[in-house]
Amino acid sequence: MSMIPGEERIYTAMIADDEAPMRDLLRARLQAVWPELRIVAEAANGVEAVELGEQHRPDIAFLDIRMPGLSGIEAARRLYRQSHIVFATAYDQYALDAFEQGALDYLLKPVTAERLAATCARIRAQSSPIREDVGTQLVRLTELLEKKAPPSTGYLRWIQAQVGSSLRMISTREVLFFQSDEKYTRVQTAGAEYLIRKTLKELLDELDPDEFWRIHRSTLVRVEAIAEVTRDLRGRHMLRLRNYAGELEISRNHTYLFQQM
Amino acid sequence: MRASQINRTVGFLRDAFDEASKLWWRFFDWVAVVEWRQLMLTWFFVVVFLSLLNMPEPAMWYIFGSLAIKTLAGGKRKAELLAQEATHKADVATLERRLMEARMAALQAQIEPHFLFNTLALIGQLIETDPPEAARVHAHLIEYLRSTLPQMRARDNGTLGKQVELSRAYLAIMQARMKERLQVRFEVPMYLHSSPFPPMMLQTLIENAIKHGLEPKIAGGTVIVRAFVLGAILHVEVCDDGVGIDPHADDGVGLANIRERLQLLYGDAAELIVHAPLDGGACATVRLPYKMMEGA
Repeated sequence: MSMIPGEERIYTAMIADDEAPMRDLLRARLQAVWPELRIVAEAANGVEAVELGEQHRPDIAFLDIRMPGLSGIEAARRLYRQSHIVFATAYDQYALDAFEQGALDYLLKPVTAERLAATCARIRAQSSPIREDVGTQLVRLTELLEKKAPPSTGYLRWIQAQVGSSLRMISTREVLFFQSDEKYTRVQTAGAEYLIRKTLKELLDELDPDEFWRIHRSTLVRVEAIAEVTRDLRGRHMLRLRNYAGELEISRNHTYLFQQM
Repeated sequence: MRASQINRTVGFLRDAFDEASKLWWRFFDWVAVVEWRQLMLTWFFVVVFLSLLNMPEPAMWYIFGSLAIKTLAGGKRKAELLAQEATHKADVATLERRLMEARMAALQAQIEPHFLFNTLALIGQLIETDPPEAARVHAHLIEYLRSTLPQMRARDNGTLGKQVELSRAYLAIMQARMKERLQVRFEVPMYLHSSPFPPMMLQTLIENAIKHGLEPKIAGGTVIVRAFVLGAILHVEVCDDGVGIDPHADDGVGLANIRERLQLLYGDAAELIVHAPLDGGACATVRLPYKMMEGA
């Protein structure tokens, strides 16, 4: 943006944070370190940030990373072509590591006046506050965060079972085994038994294969719950579980699972 | 035909042998564990009965056999008792370890730098804009720290009332941050405040409700903490009307820890139940045997 010499350019800004006191704090700090800055919009979530950002087209958008609706990074990918992005993040090692490797502006919450003043001075010094490489930086940041954050495996972790009129959520950590039972699948926990409509085949596809093993055409068993494997007099392999009195049969073509045990 | 008959015979013999060996070991266990007085009583009856039938020899075999088993395997009972005691000790040790872990996890989760930073930043900001609110949040933080820190040492705050108090302070701080996005309702009758309730469970459930239920929801919502007694079971329930449970989201160590501690403290008499109400959100309920007073 070209400036007429002698004329002070008026910058505009938007603040987006889901916590109102944090918006108040950032606004107060901005007014202290940069009194000429006009704050034209405040958003309380990511969706609102994109809406207000597109409507007011501020020069600078201060975006909190963790917001409901859309994250700050997702909002930034919609706004970076028109606004200079400054992220704000609370203590979060993953995000900090990602930022250290990039060149995006970020503020650590709670925002200090010194850090904010330095960031604002840098933005003012740039002839054009909107940098062209931000798009690729944002893609990299998203990738880094996905890589650094604890992996979300996508496996099924909760089994839903209708109990009376309510929907019971059974953590897979509680399940000892699943057994197909004609129309239904039986879910056995230490203290209870539930029937669900999901088939064993569907469960097999959705569950973590390291968490549950198939030991029989009709049985999936929790690996951690296995107590011991014995052979009965007929030579069948039988499985005993912790916290469960009965025995489960291991079919011949699944005995290889236990050859090392 | 013939092969299958042989198979069937072999199968039958195996089963018979199996049963016989089971019976023998049951008899062996019984002899090892039974009191001498009772054993001698059976000797007397066997001698009388078999003498009447004029068969003293099997009676002598029975007496000598069981005498030998009793002398040789009598130590088994003692060993069993010792083993039981050892298991019990191990259970208590595991329980203490779990409790310690829960306390440490609670410390890390609640007094993590994140929570302290944000709360202190909030107080700092409120001092400039709203001093009375700053004083309130400050008081809640002190109350919260005071009731959390002695928990690392004291054993006497395992009552529902204490846990509710601690949760109120935590929720008040979260409310100051989330404002109208977080509504709170407590439905815990006074007479339940003195009933024993394990520490750190209510907080874990409330934190989960906020973190996984309400924070991701734009409009926010309400956390309801309910306690009631049905039959002889105390129900403590934390419900939210947030985004609900993602079936693919890991339930985390928090709930697993609660489940394990309930199992160790109360065995099968207690449980943690999670359910999804029809109108959305999530509910987590701890059910455990109701006692009127702590230590009663």
